[in-house]
Amino acid sequence: MSKPAKTHKIKMMEEQLARKLNRQVVGSLVGCVHCGMCNECCHYVLSHPDDPKMTPSYKADQVRKLFKANHDWTGSVFPWWVGADKAPLTDDDLDKLKDIAFGTCTNCRRCTINCPMGVDTATLNRIMRGLLTHVGVMPEGVRVVSKDQWELGNQMGVLKEDYLDTLEWMSEELEEDLGHGEAAIPVDKPGARVMYAINPREVKYDPRTIKEAALIFWAAGEDWTMPSEGWDNTNFGLFSGDDGLGGASAKREYDKARELGVDKIVISECGHGYRSTRCEGVNWSGDAQAFPMESSVITMLNYIKEGKIVVDPTKNPKRVTFHDSCNNARSCGFYEEPRELLRLVTTDFQEMYPNRAENFCCTGGGGAMSMSEYTPRRLKSAQIKANQIRETGAEIVVTSCHNCVDGLSDLIKHYKLGCEVKQLVDLVADALVLEECYVMKSRPVAVAAVASEEPAAAARPVPVAAPAAAAPLAGRKVLVVDDEEDIRTFLVTVFEDAGAEVEQAADGNECLAKARTFKPDLISLDLSMPGKSGVDAFVELRRTEETQEIPVCVVTGHPEFRQVIYDRPVPPPEGYLNKPVDEDKLVSYVAHIIEHREAKAN
Amino acid sequence: MIGIRRNVMVERAIGSKRLRMVRGDITDLEVEAFVFDITEDAKLGSGFGGAIQQRGGIVIQKELDTHGSVPTGEAVVTQAGALKAEHIIHVNGPKFREEDEAGKLERAVSSALKVAEEKGIKQLAFPPIGTGMYQVPMDLCAKVMVDVISRHLANGGGLEDVLIVVQDPREIGPFTAKLEGGA
Repeated sequence: MSKPAKTHKIKMMEEQLARKLNRQVVGSLVGCVHCGMCNECCHYVLSHPDDPKMTPSYKADQVRKLFKANHDWTGSVFPWWVGADKAPLTDDDLDKLKDIAFGTCTNCRRCTINCPMGVDTATLNRIMRGLLTHVGVMPEGVRVVSKDQWELGNQMGVLKEDYLDTLEWMSEELEEDLGHGEAAIPVDKPGARVMYAINPREVKYDPRTIKEAALIFWAAGEDWTMPSEGWDNTNFGLFSGDDGLGGASAKREYDKARELGVDKIVISECGHGYRSTRCEGVNWSGDAQAFPMESSVITMLNYIKEGKIVVDPTKNPKRVTFHDSCNNARSCGFYEEPRELLRLVTTDFQEMYPNRAENFCCTGGGGAMSMSEYTPRRLKSAQIKANQIRETGAEIVVTSCHNCVDGLSDLIKHYKLGCEVKQLVDLVADALVLEECYVMKSRPVAVAAVASEEPAAAARPVPVAAPAAAAPLAGRKVLVVDDEEDIRTFLVTVFEDAGAEVEQAADGNECLAKARTFKPDLISLDLSMPGKSGVDAFVELRRTEETQEIPVCVVTGHPEFRQVIYDRPVPPPEGYLNKPVDEDKLVSYVAHIIEHREAKAN
Repeated sequence: MIGIRRNVMVERAIGSKRLRMVRGDITDLEVEAFVFDITEDAKLGSGFGGAIQQRGGIVIQKELDTHGSVPTGEAVVTQAGALKAEHIIHVNGPKFREEDEAGKLERAVSSALKVAEEKGIKQLAFPPIGTGMYQVPMDLCAKVMVDVISRHLANGGGLEDVLIVVQDPREIGPFTAKLEGGA
């Protein structure tokens, strides 16, 4: 039987592969002896021991076949021996390659560092991803997120006005917490020493990390700013294999830093953001590295060492363990500093094993969180990570990566580990002894200069608890949707205590009906419900004219919510909170979402 | 809001008409109409499409749904909902290195201009079509877009002011070179 003719897409992929070949890549393409030593390094192999298609060498062989068929003499002489006769030819082959390159590897590089031949399998898998995205073959979530980052400058589709509003909101919260507005977040401050770049997940779903970082910068007396553009330290080009996106995204950060004239970029705790901004982006963009870039972990550690902030580890007494992000540890050799910092801000640190460069992936890396079609496989492959965590007996898993936060949160729920995930910024902020920090100790001098009539000590602001708002949701209407009666009752009570008028629904259909009749100011929506699921209800709410403007705060603990965030068949929810939810955080979050919607409408 | 005049980087006069390059977010531009590079299924999706939905409201996708699909090289016009623009011209440009990229891009730009003329639009903003996610080479895009638009403006019609809205230095260089380099 004759072979089918190569399709146009295959030809384009072959052309693109030729552009990717350099000495290191070719070394990896020809160096594999299929010894199998990489197998036990891979969490997919360990969780699918009977499936040879999970082995790293099998995954790398996919791009190897293309190489052998087009660039290597062995493919001409012994095509049957080196797999060149099995190189992809049709578009149907590409769907299989997509499943392998995106669905069976997180590019964690554990196989790479353990290969006796020095084969960089993760790089080969990323090349295959890049060839596929070049011709438009990729999971829907990868397509959605990549387009957001290309066109809106961040991978979660955050609009500029929403980003700036979140910074303002966090400044207001800090003012409430501290009793003064001195810790407000400076935006686009020319000539600041530090530009702080963050992960859009912080804006969209975890803004408290921005507030905590702002508190630490203020406490250390740092001259810092957040940029209005070029603020996203993440880079989906690393995951999709699209070096063009990688370069464009990184350059936005570099250009903004140059425009502001800052001394350095500080990168918030994001593993792939750190690797992309600090290490890879310079190469992808061809931009000379004109200024220092560092992880916020280093920044916080230095503040403590220099005495700019003072911390009390007894404020974090629970047992913690540390999960090394693959990108930080394996790809950037960055693993001692977070431990040093962790020991300074906690009292009971328990290593998990293996650790550092040998740590296992959280299973959410490589963009896996955005590929909802592979969620069951991802969670199955997380068994080894779950075992690692369980053996530490830790109540808190600490990590310096937002992807890891999500990946670990999902597996903790799935394997019922009963612990929570935190980042170092959370622990440092919790451990701060504000009165001893630079900003407070230096205050008498600063205050005396401008207000010499009053004793300096009296002018020193003392952290005060914010006056509790009597009814932050007074006059608001909230629809609570959850299939579990006790959770519904809890949420209804919280919202009613905050002054809201509340109605409840137990499933998706009831949600849609009550959204039309009750016309709430916000819907608190569980996603995992029998009958019409929360995901379906959410999509229908967004596609219905009379309900599309109602803000939705997803309150769930299940991984299926990733689908509405990443596949995004409709604009994403305004808020997301993980169960179990904190009452104060819920009320404050919901009140802000409603106020923000009103401000936009006006 | 983007002050167009303030953000003009390069300008080419074609008789009494203008082809200008400005920097900004095309979905937030105060302009009569702008072009959105849509997929064949007529879904706004993410990126600029997400911004259009979030800022403009559901009415735009609803109107698109009445068209059903937008074949490659063709264009349809909708209202712009709550956006600052009045209309959006949705055009399906070449995607992901498909065959005859230049020809498809030329047809897409021409279709957008034709729809604009039919609608009586005087001012129209284009993004560099397909150069990000969709992998259309930047030099090719700059050449085709500037040539087709310049030719259209030189041949009469009601369009008076066409903008190319760029965001990054990678776009600015090739479009500046092409705009300054003559027809």
